[in-house]
Amino acid sequence: MLSLIIGGAGSGKSALAEALCCKLEGPRLYIATMQAADGESMKRIEKHRRQREGLRFDTLECPHSLDRAEIPQGANALLEDLSNLLANELFSPKGSGADAVRRGLQKACERCANLTVVTNEVFSGGADYGEGTMQFLQELAALNRELAAEADLVAEAVCGLPNVLKGALP
Amino acid sequence: MIFITGPLYAGKEEYIRQALGWGAEDFSANAVRDVHTLVPCDHLEKLADELAGKKVVIATEVGCGVVPVDPAERRRREDAGRLSCLLAARAETVIRVCCGIPQLLKGEWP
Repeated sequence: MLSLIIGGAGSGKSALAEALCCKLEGPRLYIATMQAADGESMKRIEKHRRQREGLRFDTLECPHSLDRAEIPQGANALLEDLSNLLANELFSPKGSGADAVRRGLQKACERCANLTVVTNEVFSGGADYGEGTMQFLQELAALNRELAAEADLVAEAVCGLPNVLKGALP
Repeated sequence: MIFITGPLYAGKEEYIRQALGWGAEDFSANAVRDVHTLVPCDHLEKLADELAGKKVVIATEVGCGVVPVDPAERRRREDAGRLSCLLAARAETVIRVCCGIPQLLKGEWP
């Protein structure tokens, strides 16, 4: 089963995605995409780690090259988050572009029994950005639409509540 | 009139063209998109009345970010939001498209 959770900053999308994963039996895998670049990202990573404590997730660090990640066959995985992964592939020296994300998602879908992807709603705050940002938005929106078309469940987190756009909550 | 709103690059035009079975010519003859770019405007009601003569009107949500420091930017954003409200009030059907998925906010599915 493929689930896509979209939401704005602080919308509760992570907790919603975690709750979905926790309904599944067996081991759970957290695919972490954030690069610990500074104090703020370290703090954010720590916050998410605390949030996941006791939820029995193994963590796979994957800031880029998802297509080469060693995801076990049949995994119940939570990928958090798509916008971070894309930004790393587009803008970090080790990145190799949006298609690397696309290939990685394809492979993760094949490997996982259940894959939940968290992505960001960053498309409603204006349409007038610089070139690099517009490219990032276009690529992220395309990935979101492609995943949503394939997904069994698409939900938007609003104030911590799921607004179900496709499928049904388990 | 069918009013379509939703985030940037969400697949709004693609959705409604598919739903109505419209080609590019049908769309350009009967629809107007990116109406959030028609602001600032001192006559929003009149603009909304004119746009409501189309079969389909599409706007991108632009009001969910931080309030801009620049007064002209604030004005544009505010007017875009008000225009969407006026269009939704005039529409028989309002649909929000997110990640390519339509959600019915008013009326019935086309």
